[in-house]
Amino acid sequence: MGGPQGPADELDAARSGIATLARPLVELRDVRKSFGDNVVLTGINLEIERGAALVIAGPSGSGKSTLLRCINGLEPIDSGEIRFEGRPIDYSGKALASLRTEIVMVFQQFNLFPHMTVLDNIVLGPVKAKGVPREEADRRARALLERVGIPEKTDDYPADLSGGQQQRVAIARALAMEPKLMLFDEPTSALDPEMIREVLDVMRDLAREGMTMVVVTHEMGFAREVCDRIVFIDNGEIVEQGPPDEFFRAAQSPRAREFVDKIIHH
Amino acid sequence: MAELWEVLSEHLPEFSSGLWVTIRLVAFSFVIAMVVGTLVAALRVAPLGPLNWIGGVFVETFRNTPLLVLLFVSFAGLRRAGVPIDPWVAGTASLGLYTAAYVAEALRSGVFAVGRGQIEASLSLGLDYPRTLRYVVLPQAFRTVIPHLGSLTIAMIKNSAIIGVSLLALPDLLHQARLVNSRTFATNESFFWAAAGYLLLTGLATLAVRRLEARYAIRR
Ligand SMILES: Nc1ncnc2c1ncn2[C@@H]1O[C@H](COP(=O)(O)OP(=O)(O)O)[C@@H](O)[C@H]1O
Ligand SMILES: [Mg+2]
Repeated sequence: MGGPQGPADELDAARSGIATLARPLVELRDVRKSFGDNVVLTGINLEIERGAALVIAGPSGSGKSTLLRCINGLEPIDSGEIRFEGRPIDYSGKALASLRTEIVMVFQQFNLFPHMTVLDNIVLGPVKAKGVPREEADRRARALLERVGIPEKTDDYPADLSGGQQQRVAIARALAMEPKLMLFDEPTSALDPEMIREVLDVMRDLAREGMTMVVVTHEMGFAREVCDRIVFIDNGEIVEQGPPDEFFRAAQSPRAREFVDKIIHH
Repeated sequence: MAELWEVLSEHLPEFSSGLWVTIRLVAFSFVIAMVVGTLVAALRVAPLGPLNWIGGVFVETFRNTPLLVLLFVSFAGLRRAGVPIDPWVAGTASLGLYTAAYVAEALRSGVFAVGRGQIEASLSLGLDYPRTLRYVVLPQAFRTVIPHLGSLTIAMIKNSAIIGVSLLALPDLLHQARLVNSRTFATNESFFWAAAGYLLLTGLATLAVRRLEARYAIRR
């Protein structure tokens, strides 16, 4: 099959391109997931618009990490559907690997590769998964380290960095993929209090620059200031979602109310 | 005491050629053990049942067969079956594959010591499973099992002595020591120098392992 053949085909192609852009970047429909008898996601419906920053909040064990891991295919779902750019996720190995070059994840425990320098950590994905030439990847990695504020750490090993610096490297590593979506799973929960700020600042800048991101976090100050929508999850279901000021002022459901009260009083 | 040095100086050519044969035997076997051991370890941890099974059969076969029996089968057995196998090939293959089984198990334990988070981080960067194994898991597994691989290498150096006195009769260090002994009847002296030669090799291996450890240890 060649490209578009005639005017009608061209129009079709343009229409489907526009349709794709108009659709949310990610759509979850009635997603269910269990581990054995433990039902973890009980029918999630969620849309992630391009350029949006979502915060996912909820008590621990409510399924937040599992939800993120389903979105980038680290966990297969039992039923329902997840669409990325309009297409259902294809769980074959090759398709998954290529999906993950577009949806990256930042972990609570950083998960930097301890046997590689900071630079090698950052260029691994671009070079080995996307085939970017090494020099170009190096150049971009240095620019990213500049952007996250630690250009001097290029040749250090992760063990030589503070937690906050490690997490910023992890963010640079994720950005190096030039992703369409970034997933953050409690990125500041393993950090000492004095390092939380430096990581949140980087994430705030990303959101302002229009990166589409989903952030699981207990940092409600960040949520209030940065995100477009808070999604509150309890017991594997979305109990409530809405803009942060509304959510904090007037959460509708008792469970969300209780959650907000707890956070405000701590 | 004087006799000790006399035996060495009078039979230096035998001892040194024996040492050289042992070094070459050990070097070839080492390469075979590492390469095959790594491949078998990769089979053992692959996410595919049949591959695991093949790796498992290899490990159990070579780990549960005495080295002497392997030497006998690979040399006399194949020759009797009409395959004109060279004693060098039979010797290095036997010792190499025998050691490879242990190397594979050591690496496998190293692979399981690599955290789940490491694998997920690599997969999340779009690396597929083979690339994750190659760039993230195996390099860390190697680093954590360097001391273990070191002991296996030292055991391999000592095990190599069986080859020279087996029916393969390669002229290695122990073989030459026995030859010197049969000519001079200086039993203690002959075997003292054989022991010294093996000690030299195992000592060098120990030093090399220490340096590798210092260089490649993963700080967490
Ligand atoms: N790989 C897994 N195997 C079995 N159970 C799991 C697994 N991952 C998560 N769970 C279970 O799923 C539930 C939700 O976990 P998680 O998504 O990590 O919650 P949260 O991130 O909101 O704290 C928990 O009961 C947890 O024990
Ligand atoms: Mg979690």
